[in-house]
Amino acid sequence: MRTLKLAIVENDEDERFFMSEAFRASHEFEIIGEFGNGDQLTEWLQAAPKQLPELILSDLNMPGKNGYDIIDELKTTNPDILVFATSTSSVASTREKCIRAGARDFIAKPDIFVAYDSFVSEFYRLACRYFGC
Amino acid sequence: MHLTNDLIFQNLSEGIFVLDEAGTIQKCNAIATAITGYQNSEVENKPFETVGDGQDDPIKYRYELDQALQKKRLVVEGWKRRKDGTRYWAETCYSPIYDDDQKHSGYCVLLRDISERKQQQVDIRESEEHYRLMVEAIRDYSIFMLNPEGIVVTWNDGGALIHGYVESEIIGKHFSVFYPPSEQVAEKTERELRIAQENGSYREEGWRVKKGGSLFWANVVLTALFNNQNKLIGYSKVTRDLTDRLKSEEALRQSEARYRSLVEQVADYGIFMLDTKGRIVSWNEGAKRIKGYTAEDVIGKYFSIFYPEEDIVNGKPAWELKVARSSGKYEEEGWRLRKDGTRFWANVVITAVSDSEGRLAGFSKVTRDLTERKMNEQALQESSILYKRLADELSITNSELSEVNRELEQFTAIVSHDLKEPVRTVRSFLHLMDMHVNQQKYELLKPNIGKSIQAAQRMQELIDNLLDYSQISKVGLQQQELTVDDLIGEAMQNLTDAIAHSGAQISVASSVKSLYGDRLQLVQLFQNLLANAIKFTNGSAPRVDVRCWAENGHVRFVVEDNGIGISSQNLEKIFEIFRRLHFTSQYPGTGVGLAVCKKVVERHRGKIWAESEQGGGASFHIKLPSLIN
Repeated sequence: MRTLKLAIVENDEDERFFMSEAFRASHEFEIIGEFGNGDQLTEWLQAAPKQLPELILSDLNMPGKNGYDIIDELKTTNPDILVFATSTSSVASTREKCIRAGARDFIAKPDIFVAYDSFVSEFYRLACRYFGC
Repeated sequence: MHLTNDLIFQNLSEGIFVLDEAGTIQKCNAIATAITGYQNSEVENKPFETVGDGQDDPIKYRYELDQALQKKRLVVEGWKRRKDGTRYWAETCYSPIYDDDQKHSGYCVLLRDISERKQQQVDIRESEEHYRLMVEAIRDYSIFMLNPEGIVVTWNDGGALIHGYVESEIIGKHFSVFYPPSEQVAEKTERELRIAQENGSYREEGWRVKKGGSLFWANVVLTALFNNQNKLIGYSKVTRDLTDRLKSEEALRQSEARYRSLVEQVADYGIFMLDTKGRIVSWNEGAKRIKGYTAEDVIGKYFSIFYPEEDIVNGKPAWELKVARSSGKYEEEGWRLRKDGTRFWANVVITAVSDSEGRLAGFSKVTRDLTERKMNEQALQESSILYKRLADELSITNSELSEVNRELEQFTAIVSHDLKEPVRTVRSFLHLMDMHVNQQKYELLKPNIGKSIQAAQRMQELIDNLLDYSQISKVGLQQQELTVDDLIGEAMQNLTDAIAHSGAQISVASSVKSLYGDRLQLVQLFQNLLANAIKFTNGSAPRVDVRCWAENGHVRFVVEDNGIGISSQNLEKIFEIFRRLHFTSQYPGTGVGLAVCKKVVERHRGKIWAESEQGGGASFHIKLPSLIN
């Protein structure tokens, strides 16, 4: 089983906490970085980190640079990093909009953020399409 | 007094010369002296040629004397010269004289000056000659003479051309040869001669025959000729070939008839003629159909009967004729009246008509009834206006619907994201608390309860702001006269606490006294802008300048602060709803304030934009129309 190098962008600290807990528990992902919005992510990437993530899971609604900004920006700055979007929204148009913007996929957040286990499995399954794991 | 032979001789009223048998002049009398100018003594014993033609030609006189002797009498005419050298035309009559023994003893010569008579004869002959030449040379008329019996006795070139006979063929023939066989009856020709004789002349137009049998239409004048004893000596006949004239007259008649029937039958156009005074002289089917009058109704009437009263009062009919007369044509569209008084919309062309000498002969008037076309045009125009209005309304409705749809989509996005988020947070913490209760970890409950309350409160704020936002477009826009000072003053009043807390200094400078708009909304606009200006600081006391001035029919506002500023890529994004540049922990807010500002300004048909240099404060610019429709 391949461990995927992941960066998480989520503005809500509580949400981000439960999210990263679930990822760490699964052993399928290695979390390279956690960021509160796109500005923080950009700042970190521009600082040339020793290790780059293979993929990024980004919330859409965030203050400052939001998920769409990240999808847009990374197409030119880091095209090798695959961006996956996530949001509380479950409407089809949101998913379409993300994919059109350049995201690999879109996964709706779980109903409550204490239930990220199944979300992580689902995300790993989707990501493996691109990483052959 | 005793009468002697010599006395008688001297007093004879004719000029007499007496010659001896050799032709030598013995004596002459007084009249002879008067004619020749020679006295008796001057010619006595001189040869007779002394009073001759001045050529001294004894041979000629000798010959004349011999002729006289032989014939017993000789009369000759010829030029002679008087003593003064002038010429005269002399009639010389020689008679030989014999003595009692019948012996020739001389001549008696009678001399007459007949110059005058001769000149008259010459004149007559010349005039007759001219006349003859003239008649013979006339080619357009056949002119010839008939004797009293109707036999052709003279002929001219015109006769040869018109009848086809040369002189030698026709002289001596009866003039009935010129008639068609059907009329070659004695009565006809005799009747004509009789009428000419009784009335002086006979005139006729009719068919005549040429040599070879072809017919021609002839104008004939037969004139009886009488001599000075009033005796009929014959007839002159003048014949003219009218076939060409007849042909062109017939062609003209036919063309006129065709034209008339054509015009009369035209039903779609009223075509009629006016005389120079504007009275109607012809009428056609179209005119009848359009105007309702029959020809009997209108012929002779002045054409103004078709005009409405105001046109007649204004003298329009006469003016139209004047225009047609001066420029050849008058054309217009206008209302005209039918016989029954109803109106019709007419296209009218009046054309001045001139005769062959260029004088005004009258006017033609062509009238078309365009009422139906006009009605159709109008109906079409009305329906096109109606459709355009409908299309405009549809377009407006469409854009309104699009806007509503866009807002609905936006609302869906808001509900699915922004409103769902705090609900999910509350629910998540309730779950956590449930877990903690089950695990009897009561000490963990308190922070989670606090976070739940925060999330619920945030949800309340979002909903309130969202309602405020949606309210802007739902409520009808009020249009009130508002003073700038009141607007800014009220906005500041609502922010009293925040201003006091931040220690902000706010200056207001306006050269515009008042503007029109919705008070509540515009207060909200400035309140939000001022609140932002106070909020986004880096710790130092905020300073806000509000300026207002008039510019190109607009009212311009600038709200400028000394805060943290806005990076250039976010200058437009900040107006999106729920768009926030900062974490709530740093600068609290829902991301609705500037979206509300934008919406208020747009509802007032204005424009709002932000300008900023990073770290150098931000300025918000507003442009509102002075008057809102």
